[in-house]
Amino acid sequence: MYGLQAIAACNGWAMAFVGALIVFSGLVVLSLVISQLHKVLTFFEKKPVDFQQDRETPTVEQPEDKPGLLLPKQFPSDINEIVRLYKPLVEALGETFYLSKLYEILRKNNFPHPHITLTALRESEILIPDGDGVFTWNPPTEHDDNEKVEG
Amino acid sequence: MELLFQFLSNTGYYLADYRHVIMIVIGSLFLYLGTAKHYEPLLLIPIGFGILVGNVPFFKGFGLGIYESNSVLHYLYFGVVTGLYPSIVFLGLGAMTDFSSLLARPVLMLLGAAAQMGIFFTLIGALALGFLPKEAGSIAIIGGADGPTSIFLTAKLAPHLIGPIAIAAYSYMALIPVIQPPIMRLLTTRKERLIRMSELREVSKKERVVFPAVGVLLCCFLAPASIPLLGTFFFGNFLKECGATDRLAQTARTAIIDTATILLGLTVGASTQGDVFLTGKSVSIFLLGAVAFSIATASGVIFAKIMNLFLKEKINPLLGAAGVSAVPGSAREVHLVGQSEDPENYLLMHAMACNSSGVIGSAICAGILWSFLVGL
Repeated sequence: MYGLQAIAACNGWAMAFVGALIVFSGLVVLSLVISQLHKVLTFFEKKPVDFQQDRETPTVEQPEDKPGLLLPKQFPSDINEIVRLYKPLVEALGETFYLSKLYEILRKNNFPHPHITLTALRESEILIPDGDGVFTWNPPTEHDDNEKVEG
Repeated sequence: MELLFQFLSNTGYYLADYRHVIMIVIGSLFLYLGTAKHYEPLLLIPIGFGILVGNVPFFKGFGLGIYESNSVLHYLYFGVVTGLYPSIVFLGLGAMTDFSSLLARPVLMLLGAAAQMGIFFTLIGALALGFLPKEAGSIAIIGGADGPTSIFLTAKLAPHLIGPIAIAAYSYMALIPVIQPPIMRLLTTRKERLIRMSELREVSKKERVVFPAVGVLLCCFLAPASIPLLGTFFFGNFLKECGATDRLAQTARTAIIDTATILLGLTVGASTQGDVFLTGKSVSIFLLGAVAFSIATASGVIFAKIMNLFLKEKINPLLGAAGVSAVPGSAREVHLVGQSEDPENYLLMHAMACNSSGVIGSAICAGILWSFLVGL
């Protein structure tokens, strides 16, 4: 038997079509999986790092539990309001702290634009360099009063 | 005097016929191409010498020939008919392969899939020419341009065709510089050949370690019949990437693959005895093999052009030709064709991504065809 008759008799069309479909779909799935592989690995790599950081800064381990750390839906542009939001985090770091440490905590707590905000706080002299790369927190007095009223 | 005549009548000179001479000429040609032209010497030289050994005429029944039980060659041939050597070769290939470029640009894997279309077109063609389904499947796999895979599948489905199919597969792999460039140029414009690929991102070690484990599970769950090939392939790659088994990886990519290649080449060459090799079927297999290889190359290039219709960042369609699994010959050829248009266009690493996905694709195809045809 030859020609189209032979192909049909051996189920050739179906074998070719299904075979091509399987190999194609298999490699498509594999390519999709490996395209996400680095994201999955990054996700798992971050976990232990965060855990270690959490142990180092126990006071900010569960920011959601503290009403003062709940971020508003629209992050305030007013510096006084920003100071109020930052205060509990900064206090947890101690009297003097590294800016990078504060930056990490802000990022971990999903504060928007931490870099810009830190710059604004430095320019407002709320964050004051204390030499040797450490900073101190110097909020204006009226902010403390506001905090007491709200608290 | 009678003893002398009896001895002379038993010599190869007396027993030789034209078929032995033809095969010895073919074997010598392989040796010439491998030695003088450096066309795939690691493959063509063992096969070529095997052809010489296998075509020395002898009296049947002495336990000398590869098809006679208890002969040394027959025992060595055991690794071919059981699919042992191809599996071992895949172990070494895995230990050699760097998947970084594929991991950096996974979309190129689709070109490896597209180039497998040659296999299925040839399956239909072989059936139309009157080959039995198992024979047609074995011939079709030549389109994958992967010698060990072709031998493995043929050993499982049509062991009587191992000789011609292996010779055809390796011949076309050696002839990549002759077959592929005209097809690439025919199907692409100069503007397309000039497309430059963006630089690949850096791939982390963890990605490279995890990939073989993910790959073996995904591929072998889909086509379990490909376990003998892909299982060892990904295992070899894991040995290479995990960083804890450098000694094993080193052995797999040197001594083990070299031993398997020598025995595979020699015995496949020796299996081409003129009386069983020079038949009408062998000629058809060679013709279909050429068709399969050409369609595979064309499929990859055309698919890359189709992808470009949807991609914002265009890919160079020449890369499609590297979707066949002839590693690294076709990747090298793509790179050279690209450089012939633009000497500063470096396509090699991108082509290697397509090439390594082609290896995976053709092994999956072998598994699929085996599972389709084993019961027929």
